[in-house]
Amino acid sequence: MMDVKRIISKIEKDYILSNLKKEERIDNRGLWEYREFQINSDLIASAEGSADVSLGDTRIITGLKYDVGAPFPDLPDEGVCTVMAELLPIASPLFERGPPGEQSIELARVVDRGIRHADCVQTKKLCIKEKEAVYILFVDMYVINYAGNLIDAGGVSALTTLISAHIPEGIWNEEKHETEWTGKYFYGQDIVNELPFVLTYGKIEDIIFLDPSLPEELVCDGKISISVTENKITSIQKSGSATFSIDEIKMLGNKSLEFGKKLRKELNLLQYLAKTK
Amino acid sequence: MPLIIKDEYPEKLFRKDGKRLDGREINELRPIKMDVGVIKNADGSAYLEWGNNKIIAAVYGPREVHPHHLAKPDRGILRVFYRMATFSVFDRKRPAPGRREKEISMIIADCIEPLLFLELYPGTSFEVFIEVMDADGGTRCASTTVAALALADAGVPMKSLVSAVAVGKIDGKIIVDLSGIEDKAGDADLPIAITWYNEEISLLQFDGNMDLEEMNKFLDLAYEALKNIHQIQLDTLKSKYVKLQEETSNPNHKNDNKGE
Repeated sequence: MMDVKRIISKIEKDYILSNLKKEERIDNRGLWEYREFQINSDLIASAEGSADVSLGDTRIITGLKYDVGAPFPDLPDEGVCTVMAELLPIASPLFERGPPGEQSIELARVVDRGIRHADCVQTKKLCIKEKEAVYILFVDMYVINYAGNLIDAGGVSALTTLISAHIPEGIWNEEKHETEWTGKYFYGQDIVNELPFVLTYGKIEDIIFLDPSLPEELVCDGKISISVTENKITSIQKSGSATFSIDEIKMLGNKSLEFGKKLRKELNLLQYLAKTK
Repeated sequence: MPLIIKDEYPEKLFRKDGKRLDGREINELRPIKMDVGVIKNADGSAYLEWGNNKIIAAVYGPREVHPHHLAKPDRGILRVFYRMATFSVFDRKRPAPGRREKEISMIIADCIEPLLFLELYPGTSFEVFIEVMDADGGTRCASTTVAALALADAGVPMKSLVSAVAVGKIDGKIIVDLSGIEDKAGDADLPIAITWYNEEISLLQFDGNMDLEEMNKFLDLAYEALKNIHQIQLDTLKSKYVKLQEETSNPNHKNDNKGE
């Protein structure tokens, strides 16, 4: 068992902080370095798309299910994509059973907003018949092991899941007034446009660093998550009690675009497109 | 979920050559793969792939009981939480646990409890969390099997392991290890678990119909299959310690022993 603590001792906090001041981290990373990503896709036979993403020891399994329902009245020709997260009690002694708490709701919300505002899912393509029937996609994330920075791992996990999608194609039958299935499928490439990445930074005193691990997350004053597409910032979430200067936010915006480009290239998520039948 | 695409199953569940739809003989198990120590944060954990079932189990304990009033002053308690992921089944499952999950949790806890020495851990709890990520028939049996493995991985003293399997009946033929389709379309389903220290039945349910002769055959076929499952559990646990032994006796073996 790993040594997971709810509270970190003053000595350990000082140790983490003094290392950070020397631009060193307890796991030997640089300040602006990610832990290693490991990605498997389409592993769940019952799901219409899935991904198993590890970021260091943090691991999240995500699956896609769908339903057909009526569209929202103000968006009659657009489907819906919802993101849910569960912090499973298997993942850490810090997690308890029960209905979703603040942390899992924040995880789901931040990942959801990163996807929603990035023109990622083409909701118009999820429309079967205006005002009558649209697809509702459920992207459900399950945290399997918690070792810090769930948001970035969740973002990649949700995105890979959408990319690996294979969903039965429906058309509207005007006479019967219901959806009919063509027997064909549509795939990730038909619905995913932009690829948003979310990057989370921790802050202790005046030091900022990328991808906080669990001990760093427990001692840091606060975090900030920035979602980026190829060349735009699409979503920001500051959490915790830390405050950021205007210059720091400008610097992080700049860095996020740079790191986003790097991730886009290194992870090459389009390799996880479902094999078309 | 598609209320409209139905989760259909074929009328015939045997092929022309007498084999089952997935090519198995009547007494053949689906491919089974097990692993232990898959969750670093947990005291013990195990992963099981059984056909298309994919299940992760983790054990935490002995630890303080929450809520506190459940604690027993003279013994520890065992709590099992069997849960299914929303995407593990054909129709998206609601995220909140349902009646079925609560019942299966209880059945599994009752099945495992006789194996443990709970009287040695007064005032504490062992919690076993079972997460079904992908389901295709027989998840309660697979979950029982993987929960036992996770407890053993946690180093919890146990009298023995427990193994579980379902036997059933289709078109009058008795079959071992029902797949999802066979489970839904079949005429009988009997999940059964055996605790190996006394070779007695610790989990037993039945739905369907059988005569006495059939019941005897059910039990005999299940016993044979369970022996195989038990062997896989033992091999999985042993291989963990063989690996540990190799690593500790020769820390550089990964570099030195290449090709040997």
